[in-house]
Amino acid sequence: MTTKRLGFGDLLRAGGRAVSTYTGTLLAVFLVQTLIAMACMVAIFVVLAQAFSHLPMFDDAVDGDLIAIVYCVRWGKPSFLAVAGIALGGLLLWQLASWFLAGGVYGVLDQRPEGRRETARVFGAAGASTYLAYARLALCTLPGWLLVLFVLGVGLGAVAPGLDTALTLTQVLVPLLLAMLPAVLLTHLFWTVTEYARVELTLREHSHAPGVISTYLRTLVWVVRRPLTLLHGGFGWLAVLLVTIAYAYLAQGHPMYGPDGAVTLFLVRLGVSLLRMVIRFGVLGGQLELGRTRPHPPIVVTLDSKS
Amino acid sequence: MRSVVALAVLALTACGREAETPRVRPMPKLDGSPALRGGGPARSKRIANYKIEAALDPVKHQLTGTETLSWTNTGETAVDRLPFHLYLNAFKNESTLFMRTSGGDLRGSKAALDGWGWIQIDRAQVAGADLTSKLVMPGTDHDETVVELPLAEPVAPGATVEVAFTFTAQLPEVFARTGYAGDFHLVGQWFPKIGVRVGPPGAERWECQPFHSHAEFFADFGTYDVTLTVPSTYVVAATGVLSAAKENTEASTRTYTYRAEDVHDFVWMADPFMEVMSGQAKLEDGTVEVRVLYRPEQKEYAKRHLDAAVGAITKFSAMFTPYPWPILTVVDPPVAAAASAGGMEYPTLVTTAGDTVFARPGMRLPEFVTVHEIGHNWFQGMLASNEPVEAWLDEGVNDWADAKVMAELYGPRSSGIDWMGWQADVVALRRALADDPGSLPSPIATAAASFVDFDAYAIATYESTSRALLTLENVVGSTRFAAAMKAYAKKFAFSHPTGRDLFDTLAKELDQDLSWFEEPVFHQVGGHRLAIRKAKCELAHAPRGVFGSGSGMTRVTAFEMQGFSCEVVITNTGTIHVPVEIELRFVDGGSQRVAWDDRGTTNWKRFLVQRSTPLAEIRIDPDNKLALDSPMQHHQRLEGDGDASLRAAAWFAAATQTLMQVIGL
Repeated sequence: MTTKRLGFGDLLRAGGRAVSTYTGTLLAVFLVQTLIAMACMVAIFVVLAQAFSHLPMFDDAVDGDLIAIVYCVRWGKPSFLAVAGIALGGLLLWQLASWFLAGGVYGVLDQRPEGRRETARVFGAAGASTYLAYARLALCTLPGWLLVLFVLGVGLGAVAPGLDTALTLTQVLVPLLLAMLPAVLLTHLFWTVTEYARVELTLREHSHAPGVISTYLRTLVWVVRRPLTLLHGGFGWLAVLLVTIAYAYLAQGHPMYGPDGAVTLFLVRLGVSLLRMVIRFGVLGGQLELGRTRPHPPIVVTLDSKS
Repeated sequence: MRSVVALAVLALTACGREAETPRVRPMPKLDGSPALRGGGPARSKRIANYKIEAALDPVKHQLTGTETLSWTNTGETAVDRLPFHLYLNAFKNESTLFMRTSGGDLRGSKAALDGWGWIQIDRAQVAGADLTSKLVMPGTDHDETVVELPLAEPVAPGATVEVAFTFTAQLPEVFARTGYAGDFHLVGQWFPKIGVRVGPPGAERWECQPFHSHAEFFADFGTYDVTLTVPSTYVVAATGVLSAAKENTEASTRTYTYRAEDVHDFVWMADPFMEVMSGQAKLEDGTVEVRVLYRPEQKEYAKRHLDAAVGAITKFSAMFTPYPWPILTVVDPPVAAAASAGGMEYPTLVTTAGDTVFARPGMRLPEFVTVHEIGHNWFQGMLASNEPVEAWLDEGVNDWADAKVMAELYGPRSSGIDWMGWQADVVALRRALADDPGSLPSPIATAAASFVDFDAYAIATYESTSRALLTLENVVGSTRFAAAMKAYAKKFAFSHPTGRDLFDTLAKELDQDLSWFEEPVFHQVGGHRLAIRKAKCELAHAPRGVFGSGSGMTRVTAFEMQGFSCEVVITNTGTIHVPVEIELRFVDGGSQRVAWDDRGTTNWKRFLVQRSTPLAEIRIDPDNKLALDSPMQHHQRLEGDGDASLRAAAWFAAATQTLMQVIGL
């Protein structure tokens, strides 16, 4: 346990170091994510081509013709449901993979291996050894997410009647934001707690063998007492959001038709995703540094009464 | 702390509209014009003429009134009973025909369980004799929306009878285009209203059906002299022109007198918070004053309604027959009441709707509602068809006309939406969103009450009819069709035209028998189902084999290529048959059009074409003339092209990856 109290700048610098030192690890994680996304793309392509490759109206729909979009969505409803199913499958797969990947990333950032081979070994070992603990942690977080849904439902229910009669954007956006704010803040809290619990499970795995539930509860208390954790994580999400908004804004009015346009668009979107991954990786790096400063968990000593 | 909470509560309360105190309004100026623009003789037979005096109790939302009806028997048979609509009784309880058939849910609005409405005739007199006890309710199943008054003396052909009523009417909490919402009162279908004698001379019968939730209204033309007493804090708008107004010292009320001529209904609105915005529509024979009444928070939408209203009156007048009254009022109900009170047509006064945050400028729902309701001043206002029996004749014909007006006002490609780079024509958008009309179990020409459900009524009456007329227009030519519709409007204005009248006029004006179209489209179940059954090209060559006999026998084995032989089979498995063009596009970029004069003799047509290159694409109805079928599969290419699918897949994958970055790692 270090006694140095880290500040926001320290966390940002730690993030920067993580990105620059373990760029290869970052790219590997991004590659996995991209491969899952591309697998989804291939499956979706097959579904859509099966339904629409003979119908030029679908070309118009993809080019943004509103009427064509309506026809295609109504006519091709089963295909679009299949597309949604594929996307959902991809998300689920990524969720399962990310428990391994996150464990690997934290392990690498913790042990600071040198050399490609050693880094890969540490990554794999850390990912594998914490996988089940992360999975159990995901189960522990469920009550929190249910609470978030409940709060969101209450908030939206409270403002819904007003939305029915809203005449201006302000009359819609302000109540909506106010209604969603508690749920968003709770989400951020539980998300941050989950991430720091992962850090703890990784850092203290061998030394303290902490239990998942106790780690989650201890982390909840610790995060609440250290607003820096929330500030740092929130800053990361804000950066992700800004990158996404900036891309959406710049993409407006550039439909990029034709095969060349499709390739360009694919590369640009890949670049945006990579940028967001860099931000997330940097946040993980900062979290690990801050996680090191936590008080160690108690060590459970089991005494054998016969000895 | 307590004071902070109290202040907050006070501030919130102060923001509420209903908390505002109504103020006494300036006395409105009299309209000072005749009830018909420019005066002039009666336009209609003026069979049913009403004098009504009514007072509104804004707390109980109740009306007390007297009515004197002067009704003339224009038929050739004597009349010994007079039936009257008591429409407000539709909202009396859950047992009425209206409530049973609507389930208390009509066009997206729900009836309030504690806001029942009713009307009660306190006294009925004919020629001074009290006939109140003679009134009978002929309706079955507890429906009280029609009452009959047996007469002591029959009304001879050509004679006029005067009937006097004293009545009390309780408005419902706003539902189905009448009632109150807070201080807002829309008073429609509110007085005892006589039915209509229909049928050929000598065999006339009464048309006065119980109020069904699918059905609207049908009444004779006449004059209305209506005196309304309301609190002085209320703004009033009504059918006709304001001919007198006076301040009543007792109880701070005012009495307004309205006069309307050659109309078949009278509606009014009273509200303490409404403002008025006005404009002027210039017609070829004069001007019409257009007023929009709105609550202050709806001012931006009111401007849009006013522009749409001015444009609509101008365009409808030019397309059919000039608007005959000097004023048209558009009431924009408070947002909370819009689903129930909005979107209804009455002569010279319509209610509009569509004021929502999602109707950004360029999203033309508010404009469309206004145009549609104003269009009803022609289709039903002047061409007063029997809505319960032939609802398509006003709703569907009006919808067809609305599309023309919207296209003229806002551009043909952006008449529905022109927002953030998205554009859509209102006809194409509605067609894309509508369910397949061919799947309905009733034809268009079905009485409103006979449709299986409201959706079937709505699709057939509005959507199918307008698309059928558009199809016919595209087949016969827009200019000729417009002229024929204008002739129909001019001929039948201020009367009760039927579907037969419409088609007879169209046939005469277009100089062709239209039964091939009318019968399957309007009177039969089944749609228009065009499809490409086969499209195939093969290398064409001179025939090979053994030819001739004996010594003249020759054997041809050489493969002599002669381009491509293409076979295309188009089918129509629906009941509607309309001539259709098919465009064949070839790999070399060339195209060729072939025609199928589909009149229903066969359900398929084979086309054989020889070209130097094979077919690339087929397009049924390339000019989009046929509006009754979904065009989704009308355009097909022979070889699949996955470019668009790949682009869409890439988009979905990018979206999935974005979500991955939110939920994982």
